[in-house]
Amino acid sequence: MTPALAIKDYTLDYSTAAGPVRVLHDISLEIAPGEVLGLVGESGSGKSSLAWALMRHLPDNAREIAGSLHLGDTDLQRLSPRELTNIRGRQLGMVFQDPSTALNPTLTIGRQVTETLIQHRGLSQREANALAIDLLGHVELRDPAAIMRRYPHEISGGEKQRVIIATAFGCRPDVILFDEPTTALDVITGARILKLFARLREETGVAALYISHDLALVTRVADRVAVLKRGRLVEQAPAADIFRAPQHADTQALVQAVPRPERRLVHDKSSDDVLLAASDIEVHYGRAKLFGHAPPPATRRVALDVRAGEILGLVGESGSGKSSMARALTGLARFSGKVRFDNRVITGARDMNAAYRRDVQIIFQHPDASLNPRQKVGEILSRPLKLYGGSTAEIPRLLEQVRLPDSYAGRWPHQLSGGEKQRVAIARAFAARPKLVICDEITAPLDVSVQAQIIELLLALRAATGTAFLFITHDLNLIRQIAHRIAVMRQGEMVDLLPIEDFDTDHVHPYTSELMAASPVPIG
Amino acid sequence: MTELFIRLIRRPQGLVGVALLALIAIACLFGPALAPYAPEKIDFLGRFRAPGWQNWLGADQFGRDILSRLMVGARSTVPMALVATLAGSAAGAIIGVGSAYLGGRIDEAIMRTNDAVMAIPGLLMALLLVSTLGNGAGNAVVAIAVAYAPGMARVTRSVALNIRNQDYVKAAIARGESAVWIIFREMLPNVMAPIVIESTIRVSFAVMLFATLSFLGVGAQPPASEWGLMVADARQYMYQAPWGLIAPSAAIALTAIAFNLLGDGLRDALNPKDER
Repeated sequence: MTPALAIKDYTLDYSTAAGPVRVLHDISLEIAPGEVLGLVGESGSGKSSLAWALMRHLPDNAREIAGSLHLGDTDLQRLSPRELTNIRGRQLGMVFQDPSTALNPTLTIGRQVTETLIQHRGLSQREANALAIDLLGHVELRDPAAIMRRYPHEISGGEKQRVIIATAFGCRPDVILFDEPTTALDVITGARILKLFARLREETGVAALYISHDLALVTRVADRVAVLKRGRLVEQAPAADIFRAPQHADTQALVQAVPRPERRLVHDKSSDDVLLAASDIEVHYGRAKLFGHAPPPATRRVALDVRAGEILGLVGESGSGKSSMARALTGLARFSGKVRFDNRVITGARDMNAAYRRDVQIIFQHPDASLNPRQKVGEILSRPLKLYGGSTAEIPRLLEQVRLPDSYAGRWPHQLSGGEKQRVAIARAFAARPKLVICDEITAPLDVSVQAQIIELLLALRAATGTAFLFITHDLNLIRQIAHRIAVMRQGEMVDLLPIEDFDTDHVHPYTSELMAASPVPIG
Repeated sequence: MTELFIRLIRRPQGLVGVALLALIAIACLFGPALAPYAPEKIDFLGRFRAPGWQNWLGADQFGRDILSRLMVGARSTVPMALVATLAGSAAGAIIGVGSAYLGGRIDEAIMRTNDAVMAIPGLLMALLLVSTLGNGAGNAVVAIAVAYAPGMARVTRSVALNIRNQDYVKAAIARGESAVWIIFREMLPNVMAPIVIESTIRVSFAVMLFATLSFLGVGAQPPASEWGLMVADARQYMYQAPWGLIAPSAAIALTAIAFNLLGDGLRDALNPKDER
């Protein structure tokens, strides 16, 4: 039987000013009709380049050195632009990572769905309309006729991804490429999209290439998993086997790095001394206008306390107000309510004195944005030392603490990798010798293996300094490995605040159990 | 820096701009030494002499060599325009970044005042200031700088608003840094690229504005060989000796074009992402 998609000995280079860079080495993959192949790799492994090569949408500096790409019997590399237009969408569909940029903001949803159907299936406008309503209903969108009249900004991210999936399936392609379709969505929405994908797949029997960095997720979606590392295919195995018996050393490392809630990394108990107690915190953005009221607060009377030396996890989906809490506690957002820290009561950013600013440090999500691109690492690290007392001679010690060589003090942020930048940000926070460090999704943009290293580093720093952490994340599996207590937020309200021992039992809030069900735990 | 320069001269606009500016810089630095005649040497036999082997660009109503006057006059035209633009840009950039950082009502107040100043046309503003401060090249520089600051403030503020939301600025606020440090060390270096591009383009307008002020008689005063003044002087004899008008006009235009090209080239060179 001819495979639905066959990649044979495919090698791809990008020519750059510094000479050719090989991104894919001798890749050979086959997808049988009706099969879902998961492609896992870290950033820079070449997985997206492979997707673009299949869509024939490579950048101008790409050079295909060897190999072939076949879709059924069609040789993709030999198609003329006109033939390609017929293949794309019609036989080879694609679902992108970020649904908010995949739809044209100036056209209604209806226009965009029907246009594809008219183009690829030769329907009349009326037939296309009827089919579009049918398709949108089929992906569990409420009131499809109303959705058709809306513009992309009027529906949520999850709904947009459903529209894109409906369009992709609506053209009845042979193969669909999924490029991280749930990464830009929050956990629960992502889980629902995966469920939808499983159902549609059963109904249509489409073959798919599912690209993701999340090994745990891929094992749930795919029949077979291929692991890509720096442009080389290191292992291919049935999804159930890859966790149980990874063959290659790189796969083993990847499996090791995936967070599993049952494998605790922190074994000590926290003390009972309360370090920071916040009560009735309401975070306000924007002020009342001349005509019109101020927007409602981002959090509603949230109370939480952090004990000395503990790791408090704060989880919730995007928009739940967890980052707003971090901003309030560091004086970056206006808030009402009381914060008690070190026997001082703080009611606003003005009350935060130098001692508080030193004791409470924040590390941001994106290391690219949190380091000033026009300052060298040494200068970045010298600021807290100058502000809070300390000499710049400590910079080598700070770098060593986060396991970076001394010579990095003379480097610019753009010369470092994502993980290294995050280490610098951590060193900057710890330069102040803080009592509490707020980590706002600091591992979210990093690969799993780098994430595991950063977590290990934070735990080592905690062991050395006794610092407490307020660890904000959406990754429930990760936080269950390290936190002493976990707080769950939804729509600005705190729904749960439980010690980790009670977290598995039945008395959690229904939302918390929904969140737990949505976090994919690796099979095996 | 050298990398930027290489990227700049790799493009035709950048290369032509840099070459023309090098010529102008040579005229500014060594003009008096290279000039074939003294700029104020009067030659009554050579009044209105047409361009030829004696006077390459012709002579004016007093028989003064136009080429020599141009070369010496470069020094009193181009550096003045540069100083005016630099002063105006610096003031505008600081106002813009400060306004973006402070935000809220202060931002509103600063920017509305800025809009009010911007509503007055640049030339009118400059004339107003010079007529209050008194004629002269120095006052013209001040006038041009003041006329330029509001536009620059607007451009800078829009860029700085983006920078204001970056995490490194938030980190600095959370650290408890002073406003002066945040404005000058965290934000200003990151808005430099658009400021540099905008000001190179504005230099060319400053050259013309400065020439206009001299032409109107409120900038440089005779017998200075400032280019705008040379145009004003030659205007009466336009039909007898058009070269007296054409040569300084062409010099002004060339300088303006050179700075414009440099600005275009810099815009591309500072944006390596656009490279295809």
